[in-house]
Amino acid sequence: MTKEIQSDTYTPPPVLSNSPKHDLNKGYEPLEGGCTLPNLINKLLKKPLSIIHELEMKKNAGKITCLLLLIATVSFSVFGVIVGTFSWDNQIWAAPLKIVCGLLFSGVICLPSLYIFTCMGGLDAKFSTVSGMLCALIALSGLLLVGFAPVVWLFSVSSTSATFLGFLLIVLWLICACFGLSLVFRSGHALGMTNTGHFAVWCLIFLLVTLQMTTTLRPIIGSEEKLVNFEEKKFFLSYWSEQVMQER
Amino acid sequence: MNPFANPLKNAAALCRGEKQLLTAWIEGSHRGSIPFCIALITLGCCSYGFTIGLRHGSEMAFYVALKLPFIIFLTLFLNGMLNAMLSLTLGSGIGFRKSLQFLLTGFAIMSIILGALSPISFFATLNMPEPGALGDATWHSANLLLHTSLIAYAGILAHSRLLHYVRDFADSPSAGTHTFLAWLIGNLFVGAQISWILRPYFVSPGLEVEFLRVDPFDGNFYEAVFRAIRNVTNF
Repeated sequence: MTKEIQSDTYTPPPVLSNSPKHDLNKGYEPLEGGCTLPNLINKLLKKPLSIIHELEMKKNAGKITCLLLLIATVSFSVFGVIVGTFSWDNQIWAAPLKIVCGLLFSGVICLPSLYIFTCMGGLDAKFSTVSGMLCALIALSGLLLVGFAPVVWLFSVSSTSATFLGFLLIVLWLICACFGLSLVFRSGHALGMTNTGHFAVWCLIFLLVTLQMTTTLRPIIGSEEKLVNFEEKKFFLSYWSEQVMQER
Repeated sequence: MNPFANPLKNAAALCRGEKQLLTAWIEGSHRGSIPFCIALITLGCCSYGFTIGLRHGSEMAFYVALKLPFIIFLTLFLNGMLNAMLSLTLGSGIGFRKSLQFLLTGFAIMSIILGALSPISFFATLNMPEPGALGDATWHSANLLLHTSLIAYAGILAHSRLLHYVRDFADSPSAGTHTFLAWLIGNLFVGAQISWILRPYFVSPGLEVEFLRVDPFDGNFYEAVFRAIRNVTNF
C-alpha cells in the first residue's frame, strides 16, 4: 500500500532519460531569483546546476550565455590586471587582454569536440545548452581565480622570479579549471550522459589547449621586447623547462 | 524524412547511437541517408586533412584534404562486393546496400569526431615551427604521432559503435561479430595499401611537397613494413 502511494506521487525530473546518482544531480532545479547578473554569480557558486536547468529549458538561454561570458571576461580581466602587476608597464593591459582572448579562443576551438564527445557519451542536449555549459565552466573558473587574486597579488609584488609566479599561476588555473570541469561533468550527468570516458578525454584536451595557449601568447608574466612572439613556436613543456634552466 | 533537413541533429543522434535513426536508415525508410553519410565523411575528413597538411603550406593542406576522404571512398568501392559477400556468407543476413550503409555510418561517425577535433588540430599545427627550423625531425615525429593518435582514437570509437550496431542488426550477435571482423580485416588490408599509394600526408624532412610520390605504384605498404622490420632487426 505504502509503495503504491509512493509510486503514484513520485514525479521524476522531466529531462532525465537515465537514473544518475542523486548526489550528482543535487541542485538541478529551476533557477530562483531571476536571470540577473548578481543572481547568476551567486548561483554559479552555490547552485550551478540550476543555471544548466534554465539553459536546457530554453528560458533566457541567450541572455544567460551572454551574462556568463560577461562574468568570464570581467573576472579574467581582473585576474589579468593582478598578474600584470608583477611587471607593470605594458603588462598591466596586455596580460588581461591575452588571458581573456586566449581563454575565449580556447573555448571556441574546444566547443565542437565538447558537443560531439558529450553526444558520444549519450547526452541528449541542444547545442546551445552545451555552449552554455562551456561558458559556465569558464565563468566559474574565472570567479574562483578572482578569489585567488589577493594571493596572486601578494606573490606578484613580493617575488622577483617570473618562473615561480608562472608555476603558481598554472597550479591555480588547474585547480580552478577542475572545479569548472566538475560542473560540466555534473551537468552531463543531470542531462542523461551515461558514459563519461569520452568527456574525460575532452577535459584533458581542454587543459592541454589552455596550457599551450599560455606559451603561444607569451610573455604574460615578465617583460620582453615583443608583446607577443608568434615567430618562435614552442611546446609548453619545452618552454617551461627552458625557463627553469635559465632560472638556475 | 530527409536527414539533410536537420543535419546537426542527425549527426548528434548518430554519435549518441540512437537505434531508431539507424533502424530507419538500414531499413531504407529514410531517404538520403547514404548521401548524408557521404557528405559527413567528406566534410569531416576534408577539414581534418586540411589541418594535417597545413604545416607544409596551403598547397599540402589542400592535397591532404582531398586525399583523406578519397581513401575511405576508394576502399569501400574496391571492397564493396567483398564486404557484402562476406556478410552473407557469415550468416549475418546483411546484403550489399545494408553493408554499405553500415560501413558508411561507421566512417561518418569517425569523420564527425575528426571534424570536431579539427579546430584543435589546427591550433596544434599553428604552434609547430616551420619545416626546416631547428629540431624539424623531432617536430615531424611529434606531428606524425599526434595525428596518428587522433585518427586511431576516432577510428576505434567509431568502429566500436559500428560493432554494437552490426551485432544488433545481424541475424545473430556472433554472426554480427564475425561479419564486423571480416569487414575490419578486409578494409584495413586494402585501406593500408590505398593509403600507401596516395602518400605523402606528412612531408618528411628533406622531401618536397608533392600530390603523389614519383612512381606511387612502385612497391606496396606490406613490402615497406617488411623492409623496415628487416632494417630494425638486421635480419
